[in-house]
Amino acid sequence: MAFEGVQMFPSTSVSLGNEERATPLDDLENVVAMYQPRVFRFLLATLRDHDAAENLTQETFLRAWSARASFREDCSLATWLIRIALNLARDHTRTGRFRFWKRVTASAVDVAEVAAFVPTHEGSAEAHLIAKQQVAGIWETVAGLSARQRSIFLLRFMEEMEIPEIATVTGLPLGTVKSHLYRALAIIRAQHNYSPSSTAPRSTTLRKATTKETE
Amino acid sequence: MTPQQTMEQRAAQAATTDGAPLGETHLTGEQFGELMGGTTETASPEVAMAKAHLLVCEQCSAEFASLREAISLFREASNAYADEELRSRPRWILPARRSHSHSLIPAYWVAAAAMFLTALLPLQVMRRHSVIPPAASVSSVAVSNAASDTQSDEALLEDVNSEISASVPTSMQALADPTADASTVNNKTSVPTTNQRKE
Repeated sequence: MAFEGVQMFPSTSVSLGNEERATPLDDLENVVAMYQPRVFRFLLATLRDHDAAENLTQETFLRAWSARASFREDCSLATWLIRIALNLARDHTRTGRFRFWKRVTASAVDVAEVAAFVPTHEGSAEAHLIAKQQVAGIWETVAGLSARQRSIFLLRFMEEMEIPEIATVTGLPLGTVKSHLYRALAIIRAQHNYSPSSTAPRSTTLRKATTKETE
Repeated sequence: MTPQQTMEQRAAQAATTDGAPLGETHLTGEQFGELMGGTTETASPEVAMAKAHLLVCEQCSAEFASLREAISLFREASNAYADEELRSRPRWILPARRSHSHSLIPAYWVAAAAMFLTALLPLQVMRRHSVIPPAASVSSVAVSNAASDTQSDEALLEDVNSEISASVPTSMQALADPTADASTVNNKTSVPTTNQRKE
């Protein structure tokens, strides 16, 4: 639905009957302004495709608005939106069309573009270059994770969600979330330790724990 | 000294007294994961042990700090990239909310009426100004038509007049000289053959 630069949502002026309670989604404009960057960030890191991320971001808010009556506020609105986004991303990546277009698409995220946004807090040019290499390494390693590991890793370290919140979003038990997170971390840790730019010492203990999970 | 520090120190002491010095072994993947990713059970004995290990093991400590820094940079770079990407994209257009649309309804009607009147006024003015010119143009067209009709009538009458004044009318010229162009006359008046009849 994101075509030609102009994207429309259904009018929020639809009358809410007396029997319908007010929800935070009624004020869609504010909700979009507040949560769109977050949803887009998550989808972009998950799908690594600009257009798909934008389309699914819009779809997320459309679905949320359509199902606003079912939002019981038993979790935060952000959690609810991310959950919708995650389900959409999951459905999207399952399609063969996604796999095909992922190979040929021109809107795929280039890892160098992301690494270029590494902040320059302090330090030498060499330190900045090393930091860029590290970020590029993590970005590529995250791409190689299983879908579930990647989602959980991104929710934890990009969205900075707590483990129970991630369990709510993914619908997985706490133990399963932890297990996936630890495996993802082990893989990223291994990549980080073996990357030429890593300043960390090599740990022999960790090498055993870095086998990639096969789902 | 915080309670957390006390717990870590106790864990470190316990591990050392158990005969397994903290510096000799390194953190397992699970311990590392709990330290990096776990946030809710930081007070558990396992996490306390892992933290205590970081205090005494430079290798694990350096590795932990390095990975945490790299992940932090990853988050910052990814977020900055996504935000920049979002800024470069066209903004969504959301329809006005109902409360706004209520207040704007009279304005819509006023604007529509004004536009209608604005469109109507020039038409009225044009109609007034164009009453006479069309009549004049019609009369001029009528005059020109009448003149041409007169000319054609005169030409027709001239033809008729010359036709009448001729010694032998055109239609009777064939009778005036029977020998002239006899073959054509015979062909025209010949009796059809049997075959032609059948056809």
